[in-house]
Amino acid sequence: MKAKIFASIAVAITGAVLLYAVSDFPRFGDPRSPANAGVEGGSPSASLYYIENTYRDTKVPNLVTAILADYRGYDTMFETVVILTAGMSIFAILRVLRRDDAPGAPASAPDSSDHSIDGDHHRIIVATTCRIAAPLIQIFALYVVAHGHHSPGGGFQGGVMLGASFILLALSGSLRDTLVRFSEQQYLRLAFIGILIYAGFGFLPLWVGRNFLDYGALSGLLMTSGEEMARSHSMLGVEIGVAMTVMSIMFAIFANLSTRGRLHGGL
Amino acid sequence: MSDHYPALVLLAPLFGALVIGLFGLRDHRVCLPVVVSALGVSLFAAISLVLSVSSGGPVDYFVAGWKEPIGIGIQLRADAINTPLLVVIAIVALLAAIFSIRPAAERDSEKTPYFYVLFLLLCVGLFGITITADAFNVFVLIEVTALSSYGLVAIGQSKRGKVAAFHYLIMGTVGASFYLLGVGYLYLKLGSLNMQDIHGILASDDALADSRAIRTAFVFILVGIWTKMAFFPLHGWLPNAYSYSPSGSAAILAPLVTKVSVYVMVRMMVSVFGLDRLEANVEWGHFVVWLAIIAIAAGSTMALAQREIKKMLCCLIIAEVGYMVGGAWLGDPQRWGLTGTVYHILADALMTSCLFLAAGIFAKWLGALKLEDLSGLFRKMPLAAAGFVVGGLAIIGVPPTCGFYSKFYLIRGGIESGQWTYVVALLASSLVNAVLFFRIFEIAYFGKKPADSHGDDHGHDHESEPVVRLEPPLHALIPLLVAAALLVLLGLFNGPVVEFIRTGLIETAAVVSTGR
Repeated sequence: MKAKIFASIAVAITGAVLLYAVSDFPRFGDPRSPANAGVEGGSPSASLYYIENTYRDTKVPNLVTAILADYRGYDTMFETVVILTAGMSIFAILRVLRRDDAPGAPASAPDSSDHSIDGDHHRIIVATTCRIAAPLIQIFALYVVAHGHHSPGGGFQGGVMLGASFILLALSGSLRDTLVRFSEQQYLRLAFIGILIYAGFGFLPLWVGRNFLDYGALSGLLMTSGEEMARSHSMLGVEIGVAMTVMSIMFAIFANLSTRGRLHGGL
Repeated sequence: MSDHYPALVLLAPLFGALVIGLFGLRDHRVCLPVVVSALGVSLFAAISLVLSVSSGGPVDYFVAGWKEPIGIGIQLRADAINTPLLVVIAIVALLAAIFSIRPAAERDSEKTPYFYVLFLLLCVGLFGITITADAFNVFVLIEVTALSSYGLVAIGQSKRGKVAAFHYLIMGTVGASFYLLGVGYLYLKLGSLNMQDIHGILASDDALADSRAIRTAFVFILVGIWTKMAFFPLHGWLPNAYSYSPSGSAAILAPLVTKVSVYVMVRMMVSVFGLDRLEANVEWGHFVVWLAIIAIAAGSTMALAQREIKKMLCCLIIAEVGYMVGGAWLGDPQRWGLTGTVYHILADALMTSCLFLAAGIFAKWLGALKLEDLSGLFRKMPLAAAGFVVGGLAIIGVPPTCGFYSKFYLIRGGIESGQWTYVVALLASSLVNAVLFFRIFEIAYFGKKPADSHGDDHGHDHESEPVVRLEPPLHALIPLLVAAALLVLLGLFNGPVVEFIRTGLIETAAVVSTGR
């Protein structure tokens, strides 16, 4: 109880300090606010630059994707690494790797695949529906990944959808059957390959003396007409890498959490 | 290739982690060579950066080549403040990596590859935080660091480690969120995330720099980083997280994570908000120095109360964080306090590394967790004991170890700024450290032993007369001795190091505050 009062006071103070500053904020959507137009006397703001020059620089109509994957691609690479790290941490904590680890392990009934959400009865309807839905989800996810240049979307969103499709299969059918299709070895490997693709796109320009992640240098390799198109194509490449990592880690986290790291039984 | 050292420093461990993930998850023998060579590349790049900074000034690196206008891309910047830290991170990480080789037959060795993946990702985060010049990029890499730390704390067998990791997770997330809120406020007001750019804008516009939102942003960034560095009232997560984690994890987490957070604070003060502005608000500086004094007192007092070796060392870390925060906020015009802080970051990283390596050795090969268990240490493992003694002397501040010089510069800063309470706190804390460590040395040398049923060192009545030498294997002993040697070396060569840091600090503060 004491801790609760103390916590409430702390939250109230934090909130008060945050609100204290709000009155000082630029108006919502103000085109002349610093974040949009830069500060007087300072350089023009980054966002103004992005709005005016993104298409010229990268030939990508979706500004957000260009900022995410090119201008600030370094951040995004590490955001993907964050996801990988989270997955690895959960793996390191939960996964039970020893085969002969009998003591204390609940003698779980051997996977008689009746681990669906709602028992045997509705199983056929649910499982069939999800089996039909999963490929559709996956196709849409691929579209989201590939079309991130032109519309909202990209690697993170598409990757989550792909991961969700596998989770759906595991929930409606059984995790064991899903693991046959998408084994632990495969998803771990894919998670690392995803980052490798991203970092590889970053690393290649170094060989021709350009800076890390300078996709423009890849125009020869990708056989594009100019540096802008090379940037555009490379963004697609790194988005695919992001999607692979996110998909694998989403599924890995689900598999480990739902089975306490044993990868059998579970929900 | 030499132009790319700022990026290479952290790309080497990143690719190392990927190689282990792809080829080493099944075959443990891949891990160690990969880790050592990746960190070796980082160390080489870091040393080269020190050399080029000392000959030609700060080195800028624009990721993806987005250079003009400043702030559209992400900038890395190696200068005199962060390059020595890069070197120390690489060294400490190498020592910890070699220390944590585990024979494959050992229990739970299946997770060794995951340990090394997380270990390298942690290094990526630490290097990245240190070298970046972008306020948001710091946040992203803080996340990488934090998530891998949680995994490293919890990876062992102990259940208490997992609980500690959960506690750490909550606190760490709150700290990171505070930092992010602060950066968000900054961006809202200034429209830039690049540190130099932010500093330039703030330096050119007083009204803006004194506005509510900017002040709030600074407070939030500070509190967030203080949580991350376990500054006294926000330290709750640290003792359990570092003492219940596996020794190999503690050997890299304890020396580096808090120190890098202190570095972020210094960076925010020097290169983002500007020392001039902070010194214009002297009362804030005094307030923080008082907080630091409380932290030093609390850390030392808690250390006195501990009966476990690692817990005691953790409390000492809390006191040392107090030294560094206080030193950074002294605000003396000659910048001795700040220089002392940056030098102490390096010194404390090595000292903590040395002591935690020793504590890890004692825990693993002697089964010694409590102070009393160390009796007869000098006879059982004289070399390890010698390493531990050097670490202890450095923490106490005995010349010629680096601990003496860092305290010397901190105290000099305290005297020049007239913060006598801080000086007294530092000296008193050194005294407490002396009491703590000489108590251990006494137990270890004279074997003061309460009637315990271990029998092993019961006056050697039951045992054969020559004491069994239990010296740990070389892979554990060598890192400890190297760390101990580095403590002395860093102390002996404190002159050039401090000069390098101080000129760099003064230049950084001066260059940016005159505008862009």
